[in-house]
Amino acid sequence: MSAWLDFAMEHLPYVLEGLPTTLGLWISAMAIGAVLGLALAWARIYGNRPIYAIATVYVEIFRGTPMLVQMLFIYLGLPEIGITFDPLTAAIIAIGLNTAAYQAEYLRGAVRSVPAGQMTAARALGMGKFQAFTTIILPQALRRVIPQWSNEAILELKYTSIAYAIGVTEITARAEKIGYETFQFFEVFLLIAAIYVVMTSVVAQLLQLLEKKVAVPGL
Amino acid sequence: MIFETLISQMPYLAHGLAVAIGLLVCLLSLGLVLGLILAILEVYGHWSLRLACVAFERVFRGIPAIVLLLLFYYGVTDYIDMGSFTAAVLALGLRSAAYQSQIFRGAFLSVPIGQMMAARAMGMNKLQAIRDIVLPQALRMSIGPWTNEFSSELKATSLAYVIGVVELTRQAKYIISNTQGNILIVFGVVALMYFVVNRAGNWALYRLENRLALPGFEHRGDA
Amino acid sequence: MLLRVENIHKSYGAVEILKGVSFEMAPGQSKVIMGPSGTGKSTLLRCVNHLSPPDQGRIFVEGEELTAKNLNTMRQKVAFVFQDFNLFTHLRTVENVAIGPRKLRGFSKSAALDLAYKELDRVGLSDRADAYPAELSGGQQQRASIARALAMEPKLILFDEPTSALDPELTGEVVSVMNKLASEGMTMLVVSHEIGFARKAADEVIFMEGGKIIEQGPPSQLFEAPQQDRTRAFLNVIEHGGDA
Ligand SMILES: Nc1ncnc2c1ncn2[C@@H]1O[C@H](COP(=O)(O)OP(=O)(O)O)[C@@H](O)[C@H]1O
Ligand SMILES: [Mg+2]
Repeated sequence: MSAWLDFAMEHLPYVLEGLPTTLGLWISAMAIGAVLGLALAWARIYGNRPIYAIATVYVEIFRGTPMLVQMLFIYLGLPEIGITFDPLTAAIIAIGLNTAAYQAEYLRGAVRSVPAGQMTAARALGMGKFQAFTTIILPQALRRVIPQWSNEAILELKYTSIAYAIGVTEITARAEKIGYETFQFFEVFLLIAAIYVVMTSVVAQLLQLLEKKVAVPGL
Repeated sequence: MIFETLISQMPYLAHGLAVAIGLLVCLLSLGLVLGLILAILEVYGHWSLRLACVAFERVFRGIPAIVLLLLFYYGVTDYIDMGSFTAAVLALGLRSAAYQSQIFRGAFLSVPIGQMMAARAMGMNKLQAIRDIVLPQALRMSIGPWTNEFSSELKATSLAYVIGVVELTRQAKYIISNTQGNILIVFGVVALMYFVVNRAGNWALYRLENRLALPGFEHRGDA
Repeated sequence: MLLRVENIHKSYGAVEILKGVSFEMAPGQSKVIMGPSGTGKSTLLRCVNHLSPPDQGRIFVEGEELTAKNLNTMRQKVAFVFQDFNLFTHLRTVENVAIGPRKLRGFSKSAALDLAYKELDRVGLSDRADAYPAELSGGQQQRASIARALAMEPKLILFDEPTSALDPELTGEVVSVMNKLASEGMTMLVVSHEIGFARKAADEVIFMEGGKIIEQGPPSQLFEAPQQDRTRAFLNVIEHGGDA
């Protein structure tokens, strides 16, 4: 145990140098996912037939296939038709597009759980459909979606490790590198596992605080 | 040209798919058995056992699948000799147990307390009451949420790629290397294969859920 | 004596619910327990078969003391009928009745089913044998749960307000089954405010309040000439439209 601690302390700084990459990847992807997810949710609820169909196919494809395959498709496949990304950008896009599909579904569920009377009341005030959505429905739906969204955020934080497979030097890749240098694979992956457990716990706590902070009585 | 390549490579893809499904079945089975035990201990066990189970869950849900795969493959194989397939079953199976135990725990807790009470009042011991009365009801209620776990683990099998399990994604990568190209089409086909298996599995589980549904409890919403 | 209840005390947290309750039952006897809500009647019944083990005092069934060790065999002699039925949701009516003989009494599957059909017939439910509990009316569910109790061929059946979860028009069918059992010589300890049943079937009525037995005696005596003011006041309420 103490031998492991010594080992961990020695290599922690190098591993943690990958932390900005991990967190940057995570936050960028979540942001893409939030914006695109919102658009998809809108399309799935209020869109006309073709828009609804496109959004539905998108959601089904991204939720029905593995993220790694999506990432390899973007990183290795798209250059075939002349679209080339560096590994980090490819990873951000892949994780972002993937989480968008999930976020869209959670949002859609939340919007649907807002009582229909809210929309009617807003329209009765003279608001347009879009305005009623953004000013009345969405704020309520966003509060309702926070628990699921938090779950999703934590899942995605763990999924950033998949970027290692296309050569992004985030923390998992750095751990593997140390493994090859020291041949102490078990020790180093234990270290990285501990880092993720700590990170996900901290994020979970923070998101719970957020949830309390924006809570509205009766919602 | 592309289609010829695809057809000639199809046996490899089919083999990769078989490995992926084999991995899925093994890891879900491990997760099912262990997840049920964890859930039962958490709901009915002594508080010390409950604590241990919660700790197990926290840890295995907090670590990314990739890190678990690397940990078991590189790490544990230093001490115990096992192949990459076994390492993948253990890594993903233990993780799945953590998720499945949550599903089962919720289901156990949603069986009304009177069911256990009536069973005990007849003279069943706790184990009999769990096995014959609570479990059959809890399992029925678990099928819906379990369908999500099925989908999520099917996709997770692709991650075994990183430790060299020659499953579907790894086969795709080999084909791309060997045929020098066809990347989009090969990954497209592979994605389609995952998609179809996922759909088929969901459909079968939905059928199972309906077949086992009890009158009066048919549709508990689609959440 | 078939049942001897000796000085039962039971507390939940700091609150003492039962404050020393004793009584006895001979084979074939029926007793009805009455008393205001929250008085500890259910708690007493649950102590009798150790669903909630008493803190103090002893329970004897056919002379044998109920302990943590012989619990499960003793419970097979003392059946329990719940206020809210608690039929096993995932089993058909006949399977609900057969599961006890099958799993606890060593019956073969077909023997257990034969017995189950017989008991369902006894409570007038043969035609609903294949229904699931959710497909039965409240009165049918309670009759099925009585059949489930009977299939254990118990020495004694405990009833905890068997009709109070039922719509008034459904209580009759359950009460008449209970009347029939009493007349067949079944030993029954019944918490109930059905005065009609008590008059007709009970050998003795026990009036409880505040965790104690206040008064007991044959129904004629207790109903016509109650000795205690509190008994009188309580009877007044339930006889004149209170919903106790
Ligand atoms: N499991 C329990 N935990 C705590 N208090 C309880 C429990 N069961 C019953 N009580 C309390 O004990 C008292 C007597 O309850 P009960 O025996 O159900 O009364 P009755 O059946 O006469 O209406 C009530 O105040 C009730 O709140
Ligand atoms: Mg009661």
